[in-house]
Amino acid sequence: MEIKTNSKLEKVLKNGYMAVTSECGPPRSSDSAGIIKKGHLIKDHVDCINITDNQTSVTRLCSLAACIHLKNEGLEPALQMVCRDRNRIALQSDILGAASFGINSILCLSGDHQSFGDHPSSQNVFDLDSMQLIQTARYMRDEGKFLGGDEIKEPPNLFVGAAANPFADPFHIRVPRLAKKIAAGAEFIQTQCVYNLDKFELWMKGVVERGLHEKVFILPGITPMRSVGMAKYMARAVPGMDVPKELIDRLSGVPKDKQAEEGITIAVEAIERLKECTGVKGFHIMAIEWEEKVPEIVERSGLYPRPDVG
Amino acid sequence: MIGVNPERVEFYNLSAAQGPRWAEICTEFTEKIITMGPSPIWFALQKKKQSAETEKQFA
Amino acid sequence: MIIGEQKPFDEIWEMVKDHKQLLVFGCNTCVAVCHQGGNKEAEILASLLRMRATQEEIDIDIINGGIERQCEHPFFESAKDLLDKSEAVLSLACGIGVQFVAEKYMNTPVYPALNTTFLGDVKADGLYTEKCQACGDCVLGVTGGVCPVSRCCKRIFNGPCGGSSNGKCEISKDLDCAWQLVVDRLEALGKMDDYEKLAPVKDWSKDRAGGPRSFKLEDF
Repeated sequence: MEIKTNSKLEKVLKNGYMAVTSECGPPRSSDSAGIIKKGHLIKDHVDCINITDNQTSVTRLCSLAACIHLKNEGLEPALQMVCRDRNRIALQSDILGAASFGINSILCLSGDHQSFGDHPSSQNVFDLDSMQLIQTARYMRDEGKFLGGDEIKEPPNLFVGAAANPFADPFHIRVPRLAKKIAAGAEFIQTQCVYNLDKFELWMKGVVERGLHEKVFILPGITPMRSVGMAKYMARAVPGMDVPKELIDRLSGVPKDKQAEEGITIAVEAIERLKECTGVKGFHIMAIEWEEKVPEIVERSGLYPRPDVG
Repeated sequence: MIGVNPERVEFYNLSAAQGPRWAEICTEFTEKIITMGPSPIWFALQKKKQSAETEKQFA
Repeated sequence: MIIGEQKPFDEIWEMVKDHKQLLVFGCNTCVAVCHQGGNKEAEILASLLRMRATQEEIDIDIINGGIERQCEHPFFESAKDLLDKSEAVLSLACGIGVQFVAEKYMNTPVYPALNTTFLGDVKADGLYTEKCQACGDCVLGVTGGVCPVSRCCKRIFNGPCGGSSNGKCEISKDLDCAWQLVVDRLEALGKMDDYEKLAPVKDWSKDRAGGPRSFKLEDF
């Protein structure tokens, strides 16, 4: 498979290895020390580190700046970009900015609505939607042009990804939606965190039926539960999240001080099972504010050490 | 928003054939309003009338 | 039609209380349908303002009136005298009507009694829902008659997003997910193949973003 960018993630995937990615949330402060520390914690256990973009519409140090900090530390960041806060001028501008610092991967997202965050009275932009952003990133790279048609002297060379949520409704369009993202130009997919393994495998079945698993690299999201409280909260309050009752029961059945450990075990079991699922090409481990557990999860799942792809 | 107790307003539904019920409602409501006394609007209008008269006296 | 909601009474009172004479002016078309700004509502509002003024011992001569529409010149004929001698006007029209009156009567302060909220339908008596954002480039033909600009809180053109849950939008359980509705319609019409067509990038210059819009008919 032809390698188009300098993205370590692309190289790992196209050389046939299971990829491991993770994500970190920047601080609500102008001090970058925290995000740099998180990056170093996980750098040897993942192929690239996503930096979230004002996740849940809560204002944070911007993804681009955090990516630059990590890049300067010799790490491999992936820029997450939402359509909520920037118009097409700013989006393309930031893509050029990222490329100028040698940031190699981008994840194109819609973004949570601002009513969830700390500035619910703000305007939202949504000049483009996530599909159109994927198209834009690919267009800039492959055609070397801005959306408006002007030439880009030095086109940005980014590995373009998108998100998928097999657990959102309506379920029957979630495979066609993936097809759409592939048609728009998505090269890798990181999914919403997977707890309902049966439903995920059902989605993958539909994906494989259409041969989509050969057109895009799919990395299911894995988020370890820290407690039964977290499991209940996610089941109740996070849109597009599917937390099976069995999981909540399993965590309840364990004493409070052992629940975190059980959560990690559940995550590792999920990875082991999904490794066998056709079309799964890696894992996106999201342990937000619990990054120190990522190395353990990666090692216990037999995904350490990470391959050296030069 | 205008300082009038909402209990001063009541909506009843009845047909023109319900004479006795109509009489009942009128009596009931009149008694209620008498217990509540004059509305703040009445007091304000009284005050306005009085000060207008006082002004006339001095004019 | 244009939907508005009356401002809180205290806010209206603060706007007008310093005038000695006031015309409470209704508009009997759109805002009468939602019972907020019609001539009848103007009468009621005038009465409430009088009661407030009496209690606060403030002297204002408040009269009420109204016309069919405050956005067209001919309708103003019948109210010319009333407006000519008014010190201030409290207009119950939508923002359009308020501005129209202000333009016609440059030396008369005009206050809005309503917050103009959206373009919507009368889903049921007393229930009005937003249906159009006047984006200037209608895509209803390809979305099965459901507008993604006004009914999707992220105005996504290739939806739904990952927050759609049980046919409801992530921001509220009371809000239908517009893209669920689009999918339902496309299914009912046997047009699910259209779902996978990528909607092109929107030209927002035809929308508010391009500046205040106007439309002139050549034959006039």
